[in-house]
Amino acid sequence: MATKEPGNPGVNTAMIRIREGEIAKSTNWKRLAEPTSLIATLFALIIIFSLLNPRFLSVENLRNLTDQASLPLILSVGATLVILLGSIDLSIEGIMGSAAMTFVLLSANTRDSSDFGLLAVLAAIVVGIIFGLLNGSIVTKIKVPSFVVTLGMWFVGLGVATVLYGTETMPFLTNSDLTSWASTLSVGLPNSFWAAVVVVILGVTFVGLTKTGRSVMAIGNNENIARSAGLRVDRIKLAVFAIAGALSAVAGIIAAIKLGSGSPSVGLGSLFVTIPAVVIGGTALAGGKGGVLSSTLGVFILIILNNGLILAGVSPNFQSGIAGAILIGAIVVAAASQRDRLRIAK
Amino acid sequence: MSLKSNANRLAKLLGIAMVAGLTLAGCTTAASESASTSSSTSAESSESTGVKKEDIVFVASVINTTNPYFAANIAGAEALAKKLGVPIEIVDSEGSSQVQNSKIQAILAKGKTVVMFVNTVSSADAPIIVEATKAAGGFVTIWWNKPDDYEPRDVGDNFVAFQKHPGVSSGECTADRLAESIGGSGKIIALPGVQDSTTSATRVAGLEYALATRWPDVELVELRPSDWDPELAYRNSQDLITKYGSDIKGVWTADDGMQIGAMKAFEDAGRLDQVKFVSDGLYPPTIEDMRSGRGNNAIVGETFHRGWAASAIGLYTAYLAAIGEIVPSELSNDKRHSLFEIACVGPENFEDFASLDNDVDGWIDQLIINGPWDTAPFKLIGEGPEILPQY
Repeated sequence: MATKEPGNPGVNTAMIRIREGEIAKSTNWKRLAEPTSLIATLFALIIIFSLLNPRFLSVENLRNLTDQASLPLILSVGATLVILLGSIDLSIEGIMGSAAMTFVLLSANTRDSSDFGLLAVLAAIVVGIIFGLLNGSIVTKIKVPSFVVTLGMWFVGLGVATVLYGTETMPFLTNSDLTSWASTLSVGLPNSFWAAVVVVILGVTFVGLTKTGRSVMAIGNNENIARSAGLRVDRIKLAVFAIAGALSAVAGIIAAIKLGSGSPSVGLGSLFVTIPAVVIGGTALAGGKGGVLSSTLGVFILIILNNGLILAGVSPNFQSGIAGAILIGAIVVAAASQRDRLRIAK
Repeated sequence: MSLKSNANRLAKLLGIAMVAGLTLAGCTTAASESASTSSSTSAESSESTGVKKEDIVFVASVINTTNPYFAANIAGAEALAKKLGVPIEIVDSEGSSQVQNSKIQAILAKGKTVVMFVNTVSSADAPIIVEATKAAGGFVTIWWNKPDDYEPRDVGDNFVAFQKHPGVSSGECTADRLAESIGGSGKIIALPGVQDSTTSATRVAGLEYALATRWPDVELVELRPSDWDPELAYRNSQDLITKYGSDIKGVWTADDGMQIGAMKAFEDAGRLDQVKFVSDGLYPPTIEDMRSGRGNNAIVGETFHRGWAASAIGLYTAYLAAIGEIVPSELSNDKRHSLFEIACVGPENFEDFASLDNDVDGWIDQLIINGPWDTAPFKLIGEGPEILPQY
């Protein structure tokens, strides 16, 4: 027999409890379903591509994949944090260019003999942090949308990198130990990948185990409530943009090391791998939901897709179209349980 | 000191830094230069029927300012401007047709007679730029890219010429060098530029023609467009090394920028000394690699052409038209749609060409003496459009 709220004979509380139970079950299922289906998608791609070309599963290709995933992984950590806030960072490629030029020009290179060693790395990361702070300051103090601010900062970064590049010939790193560092293997995988693993672990720890990290989720969920609850929203946003800037700089440094040279365009194409990877991983563009680990799944799906199509012998004329179609199919299946997160499927 | 005042100071500092950054990032570098030297030439003295030199401004428009080839475009244009005593403005298109066209239109609106060299971002830009130049009474030479059916002789004297180096010759030269270096047989891979680039397509056509007609045992196993981007060339090379392993004997790239990425990928895979490379451009880093014998003399063939020569030839042709030294409509077809010589070089002779980089001013002197169509090693060799080989 259905119970009714005392004093309110029209309300059936039993039905409410049942509905609450259903919602809780559904939420739990969704929480598990998305990463599971993303992992299933990843394995499906691996199986298909290894059937098409057995070399896909070779140790050599595993090293390729991990090396190629390293930069997007590092960038995706910063991008995930910014998107969790409900903002976006489009300045990735500009910051990469500026940081790469700073790093190369302060390291031993073909233009001059000055070599600042690790200080060059530090200086490049500081450049990234300054760009991030500029992004965060304009977003929080002047209240300009992050889309506009970071779009502008993308080109400011490229402009600074272009000025640093000057009119001389391309600067090449002259220290062979340095230029071979990214591809040198440690425990069977390239150093660039291990650097990315460290960044991902730090990212996961930051979001999951620190107060500031949890505050990022709260701000993304509802900024007004977070603010009224006493969270220092502007400072947290500033910190997140600074972290994202620093990580873009780290990616720029590693990109320069991999190529052995500095160029303003070293980050070319990075943005359009990073942002889709974060979204594919399930982080909500509106903020507040998602995480660093799921973004890593998004990165690997995109990297494996590109690599697998080349190994499968797909013509370059069809590759973009086929990659796009597979991606849409994968997301339809993998993110079906969480479609509401994307909030752009209206 | 309170947090609020700190925040205000930070905001002010960031504001100043932002303005400074945007200023630094400004892309149109206007460099009005007076000539410190000016050689006496017929072109400079016979101005009675054309525009006066003091009414002319040179414009050199490039796709970006960091690619070595485009940086050389700027250097050549500036060297010619200095020699002739004409002010010059540089347009950095930032890789965008929109940016390129709006900057050029802004310069045309200033009122001086514009004499322009444009390395167009895309083929479709040429008619927009030419029509705007024509309307403003300027003179323009386009390099590398224009629509196939858009010819200078159909437009009039303001579109002075379209000029380029033939891509087919480049592709054939490097294909021959690569095939020879691997003993005339084996598998090679190729990294073209952007897929719809005419320049890249003609170089690939030359490569395929040479292989099909002269090197039947050399197998081109994969063409993987790498968009003129060293980083993408690096990643694509990694994938192709995995796919074909030690079967790859040679690598053909459509320009030296992509060769930098491809060589690094083979070096990281420990295979640089087992593979031969050819490319187009003989950029300074390539010269250094050839001098040092990097990777067991990995680079076996290059073509030589220079950005500084292209811009100087283009600007000087338009300048002669502006001052009335030549009348474009009276020129033969090969001087309106021109193909200039491209040298095929290898380890035995690359130093002969590399030394030209040390004396750009000397070469500009020769250009002014000999004219735009007869200055070695970039002499006029034929009339466009370039015909793709049939076989």
